[in-house]
Amino acid sequence: MEDRRIGVFICYCGGNISDYVEVEKVRAAVENEPGVVLAKTQMFACSDAAQDEMISDIKEKGLDGIVVASCSPKLHLYTFRAMSLRAGLNPFRYTQSNIREQCSWAHRDGGPFATEKAIRIVRAGIARARLSEPLATMRIETTPKVLVLGAGVAGLMASLTLADIGLPVFLVEKEPEVGGWTCKWGGMFPQGNGSDLVEGLLKKVKQREDITLFTRAEIIERTGSVGDFTAKIRVADGSVVSLEVGAIIVATGFDTYRPAEGEFGYGREGVWTLPEVKEWLAGNEGPLAVDGRPVESVAYIYCVGSRQPKDSELERPNLYCSRYCCSSALHTALQIHERNPEVHQFHLYRDMRSYGKYELLYEEASRKGSMFFRFENDAPPEILAESRRHIVRAKGQLEGDEVLDIPADLVVLVTGMVPRQNDALINVLKLPVGTDGFFNEIHPKLRPVETVMDGVFIVGASQGPKTLAESVASSLAGVSKSAALLKKGYVDLDPYIAMVNAERCVWCGKCLEACPYGAIEKSVLEGKEIASVIPSLCKGGGACVPVCPEDAIELKGYTSEEITAAIDALIEQVAAPVP
Amino acid sequence: MLLKTADFMNYDHLIVGGGIAGMESALTLGDMGYKVLLIEKEASIGGKMVLLSKVFPTLDCSSCISTPKMAATSHHPNVTIATNSEVEEIGRNGDGTFRVRYRRNCTFVDNAACTGCGECEIACTVSIPDEFNFDLVARRAAHIPFPQAVPKKAKIDLRGASPCSAACPAGVKAHGFVSLVRSGKYEEAFHLHMEDAPLPGSLARACYAPCEDACTRGDLEGTVSIRHIKRFMTDRYYGAHPEPEYGPPEERLDKKVAVVGSGPAGLTAAYHLARKGYPVTIFEAAPEAGGMLRYAIPPFRLPKDVVDRDIKNVTALGVEIRANARVESVQSLKEAGFDSVFLAVGSGEAWTMGFEGEDLEGIVDCMGFLRRAYSGRIGDLSGKTVVVVGGGNSAIDPARVSLRLGAAKVVIMYRRSRSEMPAHDWEVQAALEEGVHLQILQNPKRFLGKNGRLTQLEYLSMKLGEPDASGRRRPVPVEGSEALMDADLVVLATGLRPATFPFAGAIEIRRDETVNADAETLQTSIPSVFAGGDAVSGPSSIVEAIGQGKRAAFYIDRYLRGEPLDGTTFDERLPVMNKEAVIGRGPVSKREPIRVKEIAAGDRVKSFAEVEGCLSENDARASANRCLDCAGCSECHQCIRACPANAIHFDMRSEERTAEVKSVILSTGFRLFDPHEKPQYGYGRYPNVINAMQMDRLLSPTRPFNHTLRPSDGKQPNNIAYVLCTGSRDCSAGNPLCSRVCCMYSIKQAQLIMGALPLADVTIYYIDIRAFGKGYDEFYEQARGMGVAFVKGKVARIEEADNNDLKLFYEDIEGGGGTQEVEHDLVVLSVGLMPNKDVLKLFDNGDLAADPYAWVKEMDENLYPALTSIDGVFVAGTSSAARDIPDSILHAGAAAAQAAAHVERRRA
Repeated sequence: MEDRRIGVFICYCGGNISDYVEVEKVRAAVENEPGVVLAKTQMFACSDAAQDEMISDIKEKGLDGIVVASCSPKLHLYTFRAMSLRAGLNPFRYTQSNIREQCSWAHRDGGPFATEKAIRIVRAGIARARLSEPLATMRIETTPKVLVLGAGVAGLMASLTLADIGLPVFLVEKEPEVGGWTCKWGGMFPQGNGSDLVEGLLKKVKQREDITLFTRAEIIERTGSVGDFTAKIRVADGSVVSLEVGAIIVATGFDTYRPAEGEFGYGREGVWTLPEVKEWLAGNEGPLAVDGRPVESVAYIYCVGSRQPKDSELERPNLYCSRYCCSSALHTALQIHERNPEVHQFHLYRDMRSYGKYELLYEEASRKGSMFFRFENDAPPEILAESRRHIVRAKGQLEGDEVLDIPADLVVLVTGMVPRQNDALINVLKLPVGTDGFFNEIHPKLRPVETVMDGVFIVGASQGPKTLAESVASSLAGVSKSAALLKKGYVDLDPYIAMVNAERCVWCGKCLEACPYGAIEKSVLEGKEIASVIPSLCKGGGACVPVCPEDAIELKGYTSEEITAAIDALIEQVAAPVP
Repeated sequence: MLLKTADFMNYDHLIVGGGIAGMESALTLGDMGYKVLLIEKEASIGGKMVLLSKVFPTLDCSSCISTPKMAATSHHPNVTIATNSEVEEIGRNGDGTFRVRYRRNCTFVDNAACTGCGECEIACTVSIPDEFNFDLVARRAAHIPFPQAVPKKAKIDLRGASPCSAACPAGVKAHGFVSLVRSGKYEEAFHLHMEDAPLPGSLARACYAPCEDACTRGDLEGTVSIRHIKRFMTDRYYGAHPEPEYGPPEERLDKKVAVVGSGPAGLTAAYHLARKGYPVTIFEAAPEAGGMLRYAIPPFRLPKDVVDRDIKNVTALGVEIRANARVESVQSLKEAGFDSVFLAVGSGEAWTMGFEGEDLEGIVDCMGFLRRAYSGRIGDLSGKTVVVVGGGNSAIDPARVSLRLGAAKVVIMYRRSRSEMPAHDWEVQAALEEGVHLQILQNPKRFLGKNGRLTQLEYLSMKLGEPDASGRRRPVPVEGSEALMDADLVVLATGLRPATFPFAGAIEIRRDETVNADAETLQTSIPSVFAGGDAVSGPSSIVEAIGQGKRAAFYIDRYLRGEPLDGTTFDERLPVMNKEAVIGRGPVSKREPIRVKEIAAGDRVKSFAEVEGCLSENDARASANRCLDCAGCSECHQCIRACPANAIHFDMRSEERTAEVKSVILSTGFRLFDPHEKPQYGYGRYPNVINAMQMDRLLSPTRPFNHTLRPSDGKQPNNIAYVLCTGSRDCSAGNPLCSRVCCMYSIKQAQLIMGALPLADVTIYYIDIRAFGKGYDEFYEQARGMGVAFVKGKVARIEEADNNDLKLFYEDIEGGGGTQEVEHDLVVLSVGLMPNKDVLKLFDNGDLAADPYAWVKEMDENLYPALTSIDGVFVAGTSSAARDIPDSILHAGAAAAQAAAHVERRRA
């Protein structure tokens, strides 16, 4: 390893480093390290001029590894990797040593130790660089086709947009009909009629040759990895088709909460869930009547099946807010008002979550006579049976703990969304599920449709409760991510992945348990069971390395040898104490 | 700002606004392989998200999750970012594509050279409220917007020309040296002055200070004493450095320049040319150099040792001054080997009025009088009566000199009224204080004498008639008003003219005897000969002469280097700042001017000692501290010196650019509700009422203080209130909509406060808690579990109590009704999100539709989110509605998908 030709570039960073670290002393202390053939300082290593200088040094001195001692790799890792490429040096033979955030800025109180620490950090970088090997990113050719699971509005819109962008689509729907909940629900807020929307979309889908629609179909197997999946679909006639796709969009939607028998009187005539009321409204044109009795008074009870308390007796309470129900109930109240303005409507709610522009629905419902009463979760309304009408008893709204009895011909249980029970799909796609039972994204803030399974996207209400507009936005975001993945024709994966030493491995399975990405599988090599790494799934997280009892797994670029060498260099005495 | 250059570029997509939505769209489209132009008006991409402390409900560090996105956007090979840029207009072409015109606002920093090291910030002498910390603290005019900015480049916040600097005919950066003195950088202040004008000692005493007339503080308590500040820094410098610190420049050019006249114009031209390396010789007819500085301005205003020291600034450069050397012709200089000549002969010759008896002994012109007085050739005037005729500055000085020579009575006789007097008012005032008599609306008719010597003058009363060419009313004699006055000496200060007659044959001379030189280049009819100062302008002022000398040096240099004199601009200035806008920027603390000490009028006339004193160091800094920093940056140029990368250039200007694009995504974001619009909450009046964005900054990892403190006294608050729905769900504030994020960010802040200030109580006053997103309600319940108090009730108004604590009045909805009053020591207004209406102006035909609340209208929200009223134009994030970050990301993804589909459909 003494024949390595390493260049070390130490940055002043204007004064950011050199005000606290004696940069020239650092250079002097490392220039004779084994393998180092060149050590120089630069005012700003990241500047174009300094980069040009590095490129000519790499070329002229024939450097086969470099250490840049400057700031955090967060800032300029890609800068220097790109510079290495331009210089003809394998970018993974460049090592970054952080002597700014981790040294000069942390030791602004002065003293000679900042310089000593910087020397150690740079030496550790050199130790790693000595062992660095040229690595190559893995390039995977992608299949420019997308599998969309679920043909609700989200799935239909995703398919149409993908086709527009030039990516052929296989659209798979479990039910005989497309359209999901939307086509049953009639009027949608803020505008439109559900069945009309779906009908229009289906017409467009059928016109497109690049969208293949399978109804009564289900995915039963998925193999391959990002950009290059094979999906097996059992179609309506029971046969199985095999599809090659580059990405999978999961738009399987939600289920509605079904109250338990007797929950807020559910099961009695005229005590219906919100989806039932919507279907009822959509399917009947005449005067509003329940069981032949005209509806003169409607009571809504909000948050049924949502925002359930943690300490409730339920086995798995739904702690979450279902997001769409407040606005949807208000919208329903407005529809009823339109059908018969004489109907009295009473809303028993906890927090009216008609967020954003949906506030206008709240405002309009109030204006049109809807009455709103708030209840606390620990004092929910009760439904009392009467001969002709229901009595909804509300507490805690009036002075002196008086109760309010509301007579209602129709009680609407404003039920929320629940995740679909679809263990088979979860199993096939290895999709992570959150504590709320919905599919889990990789990052709720910034990567809401991506999953830890590269190339598999979760959109619409399969990821969590959403309104129609939000579901479609989410599905189109999934389209964007799919197109971003597939339009280029290939994906490059970082080479920092795990590798198994087949001789040492005894297949105990600990690495398989530790890997959150499903990148470990059992394989057989010359009759011996060993672990093997699926490169396209491995994220280089390193969870498998320390759990291996046989030390049979290493992470490329971060081998035990490299890390040990770096640690040794860090603790090695700095020869000449810096005054 | 001035605009330069234009270039055309083609892109697939234009994205306006580089916040989280814009970055998401840009990255997605870039990954798809499209060429994207991202235009951001701020200096960094990242929008508002990067400034947040943490984000709900995960409590991720906002900047930590933003910066990789920002870096990815800036490194993306398909994404071109234009920061500091503003779209001016987007027009639709016939083929459905778009033409965008945008302006790259100048930052005075060469981004290619700047490394973001921050040295300029340290050197900068101007503090400005930091918009990225929502004005909680100040930043410098030279600054990097915030530590995580992308690109991390410095920006000089120079918004125009400060009125003082703009007013200076010599281009002296008055704002600059004031700012330096304020910072205690006195030598730097002196050196800055020397970049433009080499005679600061003279200017500090005898300049008429147009900078002070222009000063914005003058519209308030009184102008900043810029001249006195200059006097302080110059005296201090000269005291420490009796000799200049520099010698001749190392590089000596071989072209020689002759300067005729050693007044301010000649000295300045010689100085600037010598600094460039030209050997310069000044020819001076008088025995000593300085021109008017030496021979006109009396020593009690401008001591001659100051003039001497000023002149050393010029001669130290190797400039040779030949005194008693009257130049008789241009030709002689040419023959002597000079390659160029600058004529700056001044206006030292008197016009004669042709009064009867003018040639009597005892009648002198003002220049002659002063020259003889200063050289001791006019002795004691005890008991004598002196009459000075004229109303200009040249009349005041002889009058005051006469008093000091012992004259019993000194009269200034002027034919118009006091208000028409060209002399500066303060000079007239000083003369009157010293005992000079002013006889206005009078004019001599003739002088009477005995034995050829003046004894009396006969004069006429005058009245004012029609305005003349100068705009002043012409004086007309009152018939029969003749009167007699005894006089021993008459000084005629009735006008000066240039001594250009020796050159009359060679170059063009105007009828008023001034040289006919080009107004811009000062070149005369002989290309190698330039002329300036009073010789061209007629009698003007020192500072104007200095300006001319500097201009002449600039063009003589070009001439000698063989470069064309046109096609360049000398001393290009930025548009001057609007003073009303400066005062309207925010509250200005009241600061009275500091007066400088003067010798009492009675004592002054006893000697030629300098009348005006010098500010003390404390007073000078206090005076400088009255500066309002009108233009932001003071142009003190410290950043230029500090920059190790040589990246700062004040001659940069904004650029106009054009691009052709196939689709447009608008991600211009929202505007925070301005709580000043809810005066009942006292924001802006009560220091401890802050808005939630300020609280987010106080809680952020890059927080301005190292703690969460309340503004009034810097104490840790321990009873904090949140007022939800400030500016949302509030028709009285013009916004009936819910802003979607305020409940959640308030809950987030409450949780963070629980960590930062474990002893603090937090109460959230709300109407409905809208915790509707994934994990949000759980987050809300978690806050309740941590002990955050939630009170349902709208806060009606806030009043200030003792110790700047606050009294909240709210409607108690849950606790039995009625209004309640409660005290808190810090109130956070959870302000809502308002539409950024600027986006509606971007399209030339105005057909970008808005909803009734001025958000960009989405035409079919359910099926085609992000679709606007214009085919090919999409909207992403909070341009069309209040959205939280995940919804903005999704919406931006939807916009990108549709923009891509749009481009592909058109391609098909």
